[in-house]
Amino acid sequence: MSLTATVGAAALLTSLAAASAAIVASIYGLRFNDRAAIAAGRRAIYAVAALNTLAIVLLAYALMTDDFSIAHVASVSSSNMRSMMKWASLWSGQPGSLLFWTWMMSVWMAAFAAITLPKMPWGAPHAIATMGAVIASFLVALAFFASPFRLSLVTPADGQGLNPLLVDPGMLIHPPFLLTGLVSTAIPFTLGAAALMAGRMDNAWLRHARGWALASFLVLGVGNVLGGWWAYTVLGWGGYWGWDPVENSAILPLLPLIGFLHSVMVQERRGMLKAWNLVLVLAAFALAVFGTFNVRSGLVASVHSFAQSEVGGYFLVLLGLVMLTSIALLVWRLPRMHAEYEFESLASRETGLILSTYVMVAIALVVLGGTLFPVFSELVRDVRVTVGPPFFNDVVGPLFIAMLLLISVGTVLPWRRATPGHLRRRFVPSVVIALAGTAAAFALGVRDLMAIATVGLTILLFVVTVREFAAGTRGARAARGLSWPVAFGSLFNRDPRRYGGYLVHLGIGVIAIAVIATNVYQEHIRAVVSPGESFEAGGYTFVFEDLATRRPGVDGIDVDVVALVTVMKGERLVAHMEPGRRFFTNFPDQPVALVDVNGDLRRNPLPWQWNDLYLFVQGWDEERLTELQVYVNPLQQWLWIGSGIVVAGGLLAFAPFRAPRPVEVASEAPEGAQPA
Amino acid sequence: MSARIFLGFVSVVVLGLGVGLIAGTSTVSAQVPATEAQAQAIERQLLCPLCTNERLDVCPLEICKDMKRIIRERLAAGSTPDDILLYFKTRYGEKVLAELPATGFNLWLYGWIGLSVLAVGSVGGWFLVRLQRRAAPAAAPSRIAHEDDDWLDEQIAETPPR
Repeated sequence: MSLTATVGAAALLTSLAAASAAIVASIYGLRFNDRAAIAAGRRAIYAVAALNTLAIVLLAYALMTDDFSIAHVASVSSSNMRSMMKWASLWSGQPGSLLFWTWMMSVWMAAFAAITLPKMPWGAPHAIATMGAVIASFLVALAFFASPFRLSLVTPADGQGLNPLLVDPGMLIHPPFLLTGLVSTAIPFTLGAAALMAGRMDNAWLRHARGWALASFLVLGVGNVLGGWWAYTVLGWGGYWGWDPVENSAILPLLPLIGFLHSVMVQERRGMLKAWNLVLVLAAFALAVFGTFNVRSGLVASVHSFAQSEVGGYFLVLLGLVMLTSIALLVWRLPRMHAEYEFESLASRETGLILSTYVMVAIALVVLGGTLFPVFSELVRDVRVTVGPPFFNDVVGPLFIAMLLLISVGTVLPWRRATPGHLRRRFVPSVVIALAGTAAAFALGVRDLMAIATVGLTILLFVVTVREFAAGTRGARAARGLSWPVAFGSLFNRDPRRYGGYLVHLGIGVIAIAVIATNVYQEHIRAVVSPGESFEAGGYTFVFEDLATRRPGVDGIDVDVVALVTVMKGERLVAHMEPGRRFFTNFPDQPVALVDVNGDLRRNPLPWQWNDLYLFVQGWDEERLTELQVYVNPLQQWLWIGSGIVVAGGLLAFAPFRAPRPVEVASEAPEGAQPA
Repeated sequence: MSARIFLGFVSVVVLGLGVGLIAGTSTVSAQVPATEAQAQAIERQLLCPLCTNERLDVCPLEICKDMKRIIRERLAAGSTPDDILLYFKTRYGEKVLAELPATGFNLWLYGWIGLSVLAVGSVGGWFLVRLQRRAAPAAAPSRIAHEDDDWLDEQIAETPPR
């Protein structure tokens, strides 16, 4: 009998009781207009968070103290693992990640209950009931199907240790961000569901949903970028995004969230797209649940593992419930959703924003279809197929190109109606510059169609966006007599949302260029060399010195075999690199790659020549004849820089929200009226 | 510095950067013998039969080493890349093909993609056209329409002349 396991399991069951109490209290409070009951429901949400915190602290304690009487601890940890990897094992494995998921969701809900619920008396009981139901459904899975406190049948002397692929410091940050981002979609979902139940489809819920959705976008976005970085530095295939079903599951909820962050502006300013905005937040959460089901059931890897997975079936039912409830609520309230202002012209910012959300939804449908098709194929004709990067790149690429175009168009168009003169002044010069840039790229030898389109549209995006910054800075200078830098900085203070958004767009442009460069112009060289031999790649000479072995003696690592490689550029020493393979004591058949990435910017001082040298060892024989693989990834660093710009822009846009003024109908404005 | 000069300067810098980014990368080229390059190209079109979504060219398993050897042997014997891909497809099933063939049952997926894009496009287009038809009577565009820029105009107007 383990006291830790007993108290932990009791905490989860009590938490489930508290979540149920939140549902009952809020419904009672709503039915009998009893404020005390609603307040009790809110406190029950805090109690759920506190109890889940207790549960996760206990599991962490069990991991740190090597309590192998708990099955989860025995399966993901071992006594010679360093503390930091024991922390990482907290969210590895099904029960651990599900506990982290549920705990983090309850923390988001408690924060929402503390920050937002007091400001939304119109829908507090509805929101509490929704949160209670959502968290209770995950607690049921945790308490009854995948408990992290289940005891080992026989307590082993030592644990099995972490899965070799997960023994990496990246495990400390990537999964927490990703899981936190995924569960955070429950908050915009809660607001949307509360708005529908309470019949308040006006801007009341949006006022709060936009901030929570932006937070969700940021955390989930960072989680995806960290996932790309982790794959790049750990998996050893030279890339950062492989359109793996699990990766797809992580990016899917992000797409409707991005759509929502754009279409929300149309409802705020023009009172339109009420149903569409609700669809987007409900879809984001449904896709997060789909991702959970997909990852935990092993559905896509094989339909047979799905049949064996108890918790997978449970999440399928949960996904069905989320979708059915969402659709039922939308259908119920649809007749009450009317636009407050009329649409005036297709040549307006409204159109650009609406189209951008369409592109996001189209990408989501395409990715969803590609992710699920192997299951469909296996179910219908019992043939397993792989839908991988070639398919997704071919299909998503053009949609991404369309998105780049819409970013520029949407930036230029004004609200309500653009005049021909407006378009001529603001768009034509930018298009001319972009066309000139495209022609120059073609003349310089760029022949790949996607690369040409991306270069042209990214230049357009840059020019249009920089022009917006320039116009704003000029205006601020004229108004207050500020210096250029101070005037520029004041933009983010005056309108953080707008200029933060522009910064995000610039980051997307940088990412687009980096993605094209690393995909189209990546150089891949394989060399089979003996000690002392060398080979050329990307203008560098790689000298294979010899193989060496190391025994770190921690984290279940048996031995690291590394290739000592000296990289030269002409006569100049560039770097010493040590790619290799790592072997584990408890997993002798699962060696992992030790990738060595050299992104030293000093090798190429000019920013457009920055690249990564990416080395890993494929294998060797008794004669030390070794196969090395080298990738030269051009502009790889720009991918991370662009991601940083997106995050910075998102954080700036997160600044205190000021509700925008609705745009008055011009025909109703008195003649000569000035803006309010 | 006038705004036009500033904008022109920024445009030139951005243009240079955009073109330079790609131009700087387009000079990279692999110097690999033709047959080996062909073998590596075939490897990139195949997946490990045992791993999940692991490309053949980066998989260290013995079975993948064998497959790589077979690719080179068959190329040397005069097989075409298509013959070799067909050989592995027959041996291990369609799952080893990295690129989904756009034939037979797989056309359902392409149908889904077409349907998705068509549905989003047509429903979205219908919605926009419907909105356009219901549009308010055309009003003369006024300054108030460009609400986004109004604060700048306001500030400029409020600034006392110097």
